[in-house]
Amino acid sequence: MLSKLRIGLVCPYGWDTPGGVQNHVRDLAEYLIAKGHYVSVLTPVIDESAIPDYVVSAGKPIAIPYNGAVARILFGPIAFARVRNWISEGNFDLLHLHEPAIPSISLLACWAAEGPMIGTFHAAAGRQKVIFALGPILEPVIEKLSARIAVSEAARETLAEHLETDAVVVPNGIYADRYRDGEKLKKWSGNTIGFIGRFEEPRKGLAILLEALPIIARFAPDVRVLVAGPGDSKEFSEAIDPQLRHRFEFLGRISEKEKADFLSSIAVYVAPNTGGESFGIILAEALAGGATVVASDIPAFDSLLGHGEFGALFESENPQELAKVVIDLLRNPKRRTDLSIRGKAYAQRFNWDVVAEDIFSIYEMSLVGNSGVRLSSENRAWNRFLGRDTN
Amino acid sequence: MEKYFLLIFLILFGAWYLTYSATRLDRLHHRVETSWANLDSLLQKRAAVALEIAKSKIADPASALILTAAARGARDARMQNRSQAESGLSGALGLLLNDGHLVDGLIEKELLQELSELTNKIRVAIALHVDAVSRTQMVRTKKVNRIFRLAGRAPLPVVYEFEADVL
Repeated sequence: MLSKLRIGLVCPYGWDTPGGVQNHVRDLAEYLIAKGHYVSVLTPVIDESAIPDYVVSAGKPIAIPYNGAVARILFGPIAFARVRNWISEGNFDLLHLHEPAIPSISLLACWAAEGPMIGTFHAAAGRQKVIFALGPILEPVIEKLSARIAVSEAARETLAEHLETDAVVVPNGIYADRYRDGEKLKKWSGNTIGFIGRFEEPRKGLAILLEALPIIARFAPDVRVLVAGPGDSKEFSEAIDPQLRHRFEFLGRISEKEKADFLSSIAVYVAPNTGGESFGIILAEALAGGATVVASDIPAFDSLLGHGEFGALFESENPQELAKVVIDLLRNPKRRTDLSIRGKAYAQRFNWDVVAEDIFSIYEMSLVGNSGVRLSSENRAWNRFLGRDTN
Repeated sequence: MEKYFLLIFLILFGAWYLTYSATRLDRLHHRVETSWANLDSLLQKRAAVALEIAKSKIADPASALILTAAARGARDARMQNRSQAESGLSGALGLLLNDGHLVDGLIEKELLQELSELTNKIRVAIALHVDAVSRTQMVRTKKVNRIFRLAGRAPLPVVYEFEADVL
């Protein structure tokens, strides 16, 4: 490895709200710190008293609807001043900006800085007219990045389509070894369908599973659904059809160890998400835990599961097809084992060791011929013309 | 009076826009230079590793001869012949390593490991360079940049042939 670096990470979404991007930035920052680098993370924060010391607050995030979901982002002149301040005082060797095409502080940092900058694009979405309209504004900013990373093939395609630029694919990281040696527990095995996540959120798609369940129960009378994750299970189960209620079991939040056991015990893991997913870290974890995965065919899941090679896919928001796929797997233990063995081996590539090394080698490439990050100046061309040194 | 203000405003805006465009172009050229420097240094390293492999037990005498010649060629090639030389080295390495013979010995394994890591890096470096070049080409064809010759005497960046099929 290269000598120790000063790395600035920018996370566009509120640090203390749950989300894939935030988790990714946190894990990456902690990995780099453990390797001995200096890391500072600039991010919007709601509660400034509860942040680790490598995090710098850029202010309170604003919740606004963007791209079909409520995003907690931050912009405006005060935030911009803080971003500029952080850059000029940080004396960084390089900046790593997450989601620089979202109107938040990553974009501001990309605007304000000059030097080695890497952008990671998480979002995977279909064609969106609004982004085409924003293209001419975004392009000159985004092209300052010395390297672009997309977290999946789907994100890479989204980027190519909307901003006409290519990216290197480096997936999000997981700690695969935490899930490798789960125990098969009797209470969770049998004809069980597992689900992990905030089940109250409609986009997580538990409602689709609910609709599919009567059909599944006809073919597998002893089928049970195990739901793990935070949320008000009492209120939720009251809304479930009384005929089906006894099939549900809510486990609440579970520990990492329990998660490993859960994933090795259940018959199938179902992810019926209807959209808004950038990568699908939970699927990678489920694969690493040796679960047989069934997921909706939204772009992020489709590309994570290798178009069906490492887990079964069903047409998003189609309960009949979900039922069909699940029944098929419940009846066919051999196919289930095949999928889970292949999936487990495949999930090793998402391990943080592999992922962080890939990211770091891109860091090294961007450092060639550059002399650190500084505030950008629009006089660059003049300085060049007058023969002043700007490198 | 108002007309003058408008005129002054337009001139100022025009000046700002020209400066802005020139800055943008300058940055892009810088990106092309650095991404090329990066790719170039990785390719040099690859040539060095190839020479090591030629000297090691991995290569039989005949392959060693071919590999040494190709690696030296790649290292010393001038810009005009670079494409040919790098493709030649890729071909020579491919011939030697893809015939499926087993390699034992610690040093040999390390060499091959190093080569495969380098190859992965080169693949990324190529993607970065190609992206920088195509972006620069695209921006340079914009009217304002052509009319005001904002690119100055900087040569139009091009992608070399070998970048399409190296390894």
